[in-house]
Amino acid sequence: MDEWIRQAESWVGQAEGWIRQQPPEQIYVAAAVVAITILLLITVSCLKSSKPNTIVLSGLSGGGKTTLFYQLRDGSAHQGTVTSMEENNDTFVLHSEQEKKGKVKPVHIVDVPGHARLKPKLDEVLPKAAGVVFVVDAQDFLSSMQAAAEYLYDILTKATVVKKKVPVLIFCNKTDKVTAHSKEFIKKQLEKEINKLRESRTAISSADISDEVQLGVPGESFNFSQCLNRVTVAEGAGSTGNVSAVEEFIREHVKA
Amino acid sequence: MLEELLIFTRGGLILWSSCRALGAAALKGSPIDALIRSCLLEERSGDASFSQDNYALKWTFHNDLGLVFVAVYQKILHLLYVDDLLAAVRREFAQIYDPKRTAYDQDFTDIFRQLHLEAEARAEEMKKSKQALSSRPLPPAASHKTDPKARGDSRPNAAKKKKKGKDDSDDGDYTAKEALPNGNGTFKAQDSVLVLPKQGKENGGPNDNGAFDVSKLQRLRKNDRKNNTGAADNGAKKLTTKPDTKKKGKQDRVWDDKPSNKKLDFTDPADERGDEVTDHVAVNQGESMMDKDDNLSSDSEEDEQEVEDGPPKKKGWFSSMFQSIAGNNVLDKSDLQPALKALKDRLMTKNVAEEIAEKLCESVAASLEGKKLGSFTRISSTVQTAMEEALLRILTPRRSIDILRDVNAAKERGRPYVIVFVGVNGVGKSTNLAKVAYWLLQHNLSVTLAACDTFRSGAVEQLRTHARRLQIPIFEKGYEKDPAVVAREAIQEASRNKSDVVLVDTAGRMQMATVELCPNAPSIVSTVETGFHDSSLTILHKLFVEQKLADLSAVPTARLIDGILLTKFDTIDDKVGAALSMVYISGAPVMFVGCGQSYTDLKKLNVKSIVKTLLK
Repeated sequence: MDEWIRQAESWVGQAEGWIRQQPPEQIYVAAAVVAITILLLITVSCLKSSKPNTIVLSGLSGGGKTTLFYQLRDGSAHQGTVTSMEENNDTFVLHSEQEKKGKVKPVHIVDVPGHARLKPKLDEVLPKAAGVVFVVDAQDFLSSMQAAAEYLYDILTKATVVKKKVPVLIFCNKTDKVTAHSKEFIKKQLEKEINKLRESRTAISSADISDEVQLGVPGESFNFSQCLNRVTVAEGAGSTGNVSAVEEFIREHVKA
Repeated sequence: MLEELLIFTRGGLILWSSCRALGAAALKGSPIDALIRSCLLEERSGDASFSQDNYALKWTFHNDLGLVFVAVYQKILHLLYVDDLLAAVRREFAQIYDPKRTAYDQDFTDIFRQLHLEAEARAEEMKKSKQALSSRPLPPAASHKTDPKARGDSRPNAAKKKKKGKDDSDDGDYTAKEALPNGNGTFKAQDSVLVLPKQGKENGGPNDNGAFDVSKLQRLRKNDRKNNTGAADNGAKKLTTKPDTKKKGKQDRVWDDKPSNKKLDFTDPADERGDEVTDHVAVNQGESMMDKDDNLSSDSEEDEQEVEDGPPKKKGWFSSMFQSIAGNNVLDKSDLQPALKALKDRLMTKNVAEEIAEKLCESVAASLEGKKLGSFTRISSTVQTAMEEALLRILTPRRSIDILRDVNAAKERGRPYVIVFVGVNGVGKSTNLAKVAYWLLQHNLSVTLAACDTFRSGAVEQLRTHARRLQIPIFEKGYEKDPAVVAREAIQEASRNKSDVVLVDTAGRMQMATVELCPNAPSIVSTVETGFHDSSLTILHKLFVEQKLADLSAVPTARLIDGILLTKFDTIDDKVGAALSMVYISGAPVMFVGCGQSYTDLKKLNVKSIVKTLLK
């Protein structure tokens, strides 16, 4: 051990001597270059992380998320979709803006599968989200109302969503069908269901698992305007291409 | 005839559909979605095929590119070339696939047509060679052949003759009967509609290539009928035999001809207004553990080092290390086998049933085959991650298990929410029923107990004691009564008293009749002991597999299990495999976990910790 220490000391001495031999300007320049590079790296990484540009498409299975994803990307739903088993993850320029002149910033959109068994995937993606689009099937709404409300409730009570005030757009899909409900109806029903959920969940003692944040104002019936993050409702149809509401939402919340 | 061949990505986009490309009729219903939801996402991708309505589906994966190939055909036909065709399609498509492209119509349609014809031709040749091999004078029954064009014609004929179309031996035998009188060698197909002079086709090929006798046909017909009505019969039989035994009543057993006159049974037949002082427990035992948060950190403490590799791989350590660093290792079955076998053994030591561990391993293998390993990853770690994901997927409930919400929903409708506890003898139904009652009481819901265990001595008293301690009403009718009737009356009484929840205790003898009792859809919770599971597995299997048959024939409202209650969780250390087996078989989520003998010992299942324990 001692031998090694002595060897190391001798090397250090040699290195010092060598450095002293160099002209001082060179050393200063070298040090400056290193410092600047490090600073640059830090600022770039800071800038990148402070502005997430991920939009998350979520919602129940069968709502039309994958169709919406491909509409946004390619302008058509191609040959149709089946139940997704994995997420669709892509960064692209919105199809409607591809003809725009000038630099258009690409958006990163993640389409999370809606199947209940794949719920953990949503938890992975939400922390990086700049905005969440919650796709609701307006045609088949009544039968899936409770499940949709629960899903939405889970999203709205996640700590990351509330802390970062992630905006949520409730997109009522499939409005091109005759039997589709209006967005006002859907909004009211969802508020009612979430209210019920709120009551049943707060009836549980204080150490409850799933609720990370309390929703709404206690004593008043729930309203989307009570959320700390902005919740808006819009309608459209993924299969016909009527997705302008989503595109506006994206443009609004992802800095161009 | 192949109805449809669909190629889609794992993310859900359909890349190519033979229906659309060739202009055939679209499928009825959506069997593909059903396949994904009930099979592939349930980790049953190792199964051979899946059937829904009239369709049978077969599939294969290309794990590297993330593609799924599904072939759909009529269930009554048995097409032998489907697996072959799927493999060929996978090969060809992988060559022309480009992640950026989404339209493959022009390129792939012709290739597919050709592959289809080739596969059919190959299958016919195989059948011909099999026929040539067997030397007996074959009955015309089993080995019919036809041209694919004419198959469309023969189908309506074949369909005419099928009774239910499910049993293929029946099919073969029926057409044999028809064809026999026409002679041995060449013969016309059923009608002379068929163009070909060759033998008419029946796709019931695989079963009997040997001689055929009428007795076998009759036996098979009888079996078929028996199978279909067997389940319904069992249910009916149980109903009819039970009142018979009950009418006789229980006589005291007498040994050695000495009549013993001592009265030993002091059970009061009616309600006992006891003077005993029992402590009124109510809600004073503290918080039920159902409401406590299991704050287990799910960080991965396990290192790569801790994972054992099992038996040494055939390729040798150095070359496999080198390949894992280079990162171009394509996984194939022989690579996966040792890692999978090690995992399967580990699962079995944690008390997972063998066939379930087997099926899980097959499913994981199906999803990993053909995948390219990233650099610096070992096969064992990839398999481990895949298995972990699969387990997480199985144990995550398919729908929400918020009981309080369901109770509130039922309350709004003005009816009590009924929970029926079923299970084998001795698993702890009554104890856990009391625990659930305690938990519900803590949330200010009014509970009624229904003592429908009219078989076991002391069952009613046990519930009575619990009811007294918790100060809740109990509905009982004593022993030797029909439990279905007792339950019905209990529910009526509860709705009269505006009770929120009714908890129904049943005898351990799997009384299916009780299960089907109410039209207002009670929630059925199966109580299963975590430690010992063999009999429970068979019972659950009976409830699901055979109940499904009953569904088809007699009872349209036959119920399946809504939830599982695992009991005696504190007695098993880390042998938590029974939870996995039960969930896999029944598809029902675990609602409660009983972990002790006092009222507060009821927990929720923590999925991540179970997965960790299973794979440790």
